[in-house]
Amino acid sequence: MIRRLVLDVLKPHNPSVVELSEELSNLEGIEGVNVIIYEIDQKVENVKIIIAGSSISFESIKTKLEEMGATIHSVDEVAAGSRIVEEVRTPQDRHAQM
Amino acid sequence: MKFLEKIRRYVNISQIAPISRRYFIMNAFDGATTILGIVAGAYVVGITNETRFWVIWSGLGATLAMSLSGFVGAYMTEEAELTRRLNILEKSMLTELKNSVVGKASRFASVWAGIIDGMSPALAAVVCLMPFFLSSSGWLSTDSAVQISMTIALGIMFMLGVFLGKISRRNVLLHGVKMLFVGLIITLIFLALKIT
Repeated sequence: MIRRLVLDVLKPHNPSVVELSEELSNLEGIEGVNVIIYEIDQKVENVKIIIAGSSISFESIKTKLEEMGATIHSVDEVAAGSRIVEEVRTPQDRHAQM
Repeated sequence: MKFLEKIRRYVNISQIAPISRRYFIMNAFDGATTILGIVAGAYVVGITNETRFWVIWSGLGATLAMSLSGFVGAYMTEEAELTRRLNILEKSMLTELKNSVVGKASRFASVWAGIIDGMSPALAAVVCLMPFFLSSSGWLSTDSAVQISMTIALGIMFMLGVFLGKISRRNVLLHGVKMLFVGLIITLIFLALKIT
């Protein structure tokens, strides 16, 4: 049972992020969608999509995105289960940053 | 999704609205000008109650030709142009978009452009021919049909100019008069021929 999903997506300029977020939020089991554009090219744009819900179907999101002409570059975060577990910082992370 | 909503979405995605607007103006103008030419020509040779059907059938023939040529021309042109645009986008996306809403919008847009291009001259021409339909049913005299038909054609030209002025947010009257000027030239040429 997926509760939160963070995706890196490549999409054409049209349909717009407004349409894309509306379409995704209409899917079953989704309570909220956040779409952030972080790079715009001449023909395409890269967006980060954060989806939260009670029971997210990854397949239906993938299908919807393909239907909208977008492709998933990477799945950057998945939170599943009855409780959302947040990322925790560890000494190793700090070491890695140095 | 509702049918109209779907059309609106495809028009937005394909960004065909400005192109269809241009097609509409250009071809409605062609339709009105063609009928104006046919009616003015018939007036010069001396149209009578017996020959008024020639105007109707010549007008309808020209309308059909304009519509078909408009539909095929616009469809073929837009189909080629939009396919090219889709191919470029597919290269940027590194994926096929044929079955996505982008591909569907692209296919819809070429048909849409064809319909607009085919319908607009027909619409203008049929409105201009309306007095002759009324005349053939005995509602109008042939002379009145000629006058009203030419007035309608000039009126359509003026209105198309006003529409262009409105789109460009400039002087609507000036744009209307500019378009009307073309119609007036045709009318004056034929009136001069009639006098001589």
